[in-house]
Amino acid sequence: MIDVTTYIRPGSLEEALDVLASGEFTPLAGGTDLIPHARGRGPRKMLDLSGLSLDRVTRTASSIEVGACATHSELCRDAVVTKALPLLSKAAALVGTKQVRNRGTLGGNVVNASPCADTVPALLNHDAVAVLVSKDARRKVPVEAFITGPYATCIGPNELLTSIVCEPLEKPTFVSFLKLGRRQAVNISRMSLAVCLMMDGKGSIKGARVSAGAVFPVARRMREVERLLAGESPSKRLFAEAGALAAQLMVKESGVRWSTPYKRPVLAALLERALAEAASGNFGEQ
Amino acid sequence: MKGPQDSATVARVQVSFRLNGVSFRKRVPVDWTLLRYLREGLGYYGTKCGCEIGDCGACTVLYDGVALNACLILAPQVDGVDIWTIEGVAPQGERGLHPVQQAFVERGAVHCGFCTPGFVMSTIALFLETRNPSRQEIKEALAGNLCRCTGYIQILDAVKTAASRLRDRDLKKFVSRRR
Ligand SMILES: Cc1cc2nc3c(=O)[nH]c(=O)nc-3n(C[C@H](O)[C@H](O)[C@H](O)COP(=O)(O)OP(=O)(O)OC[C@H]3O[C@@H](n4cnc5c(N)ncnc54)[C@H](O)[C@@H]3O)c2cc1C
Repeated sequence: MIDVTTYIRPGSLEEALDVLASGEFTPLAGGTDLIPHARGRGPRKMLDLSGLSLDRVTRTASSIEVGACATHSELCRDAVVTKALPLLSKAAALVGTKQVRNRGTLGGNVVNASPCADTVPALLNHDAVAVLVSKDARRKVPVEAFITGPYATCIGPNELLTSIVCEPLEKPTFVSFLKLGRRQAVNISRMSLAVCLMMDGKGSIKGARVSAGAVFPVARRMREVERLLAGESPSKRLFAEAGALAAQLMVKESGVRWSTPYKRPVLAALLERALAEAASGNFGEQ
Repeated sequence: MKGPQDSATVARVQVSFRLNGVSFRKRVPVDWTLLRYLREGLGYYGTKCGCEIGDCGACTVLYDGVALNACLILAPQVDGVDIWTIEGVAPQGERGLHPVQQAFVERGAVHCGFCTPGFVMSTIALFLETRNPSRQEIKEALAGNLCRCTGYIQILDAVKTAASRLRDRDLKKFVSRRR
């Protein structure tokens, strides 16, 4: 039995925000996080978002706006996302199982804010901004600030996440997304890395974006590593240094835990591999 | 707003949906999953209840033409949806099995049978996307279905066999009118 006392499915955003203004309702997107956790956790009033048409992807001159209710399967398939935000579609392709990707949404992944949410490192590399609306206000918060802790965000009880705006990176940018877990499917990340290398015309790295999931309490950009890479030419030595720096940052921030002897060398090696893969251009270019 | 105006005070919601090609109009409990409603509400026990957290795939149904876990859907969410379960897979009014079921039998892909309905529904969903899937595509499509006895080799072989025999009319009824 799941503790649902009320279910409503409004047909418009206005209606949904009116209902939400009471502060009593829980937004329900794909339910792949919410429903397994709705058992024995106290009663809930569900506000189903599926009637709000929040699943669209739109392209503007400088950015791409992805509707919060776009499913992982849609992110894998959508022509605009696969071309301009290849990291995001790759991350979505690695979520859970076919059944979960068909149902789970980008918005749910971000609002649930698990430290191992797979789309988050990809979004951070694109300077993604969350669009939050309530009955009488609308605000934009960078995803990096939106997620405030493990399973915690700054969303209000009367707010909906309607979309996420991503900035495509200038060309040529080489990307890579690696996810490490215990097995291949139904795989909750032990660690995930999103890497973008923006190249100048002469084969050097003009700038880099590197984000890590499930490494820190909250997924985040590793700007220290990005600074190390900027202006250098790709080499095995450089990438090994970057890996070592990432491992240092992890220990500094998360402290030494039971998993540290495993995670330290693994993070270093994984980042080295992700950077090499990106630099090879084999993984994807945008 | 869909559903009755009094939905804020009652524990049931009126929904219309299609199940295995038949239209239903029912008042469903808001705190039941689709899985429970299929089994205990309508008596369709073919869809199996395994983990109830989306891991095992035993409750996979075809939902508007794609594979979903019925344990992760609330019963009131089915309004307007076209659902197919294992009970509707074999051709109606004819004898015999659907080619996917037949291939599972012939290839020894059924042992205790608990996971089989879920695997069959995931396989049909895969064929609705691609008629000639590679081994990798089959693995990806079935990764959300667990089998604890037969093992996966026979199941992969069964899907290959089914693919080689499938005709358009074997898929026609499963194509959702909503997509
Ligand atoms: C078997 C299984 C495997 C999984 N594997 C992975 C994996 O590999 N990687 C991964 O990252 N995740 C995984 N997940 C977790 C989950 O599928 C994803 O996080 C998914 O994206 C959640 O989206 P949803 O639409 O189902 O969210 P829901 O469950 O509907 O919602 C999650 C939370 O977000 C809130 N919410 C949702 N949408 C909005 C909105 N628009 N505005 C405001 N609040 C909102 C809800 O109120 C709830 O608190 C897995 C889940 C299962 C069951």
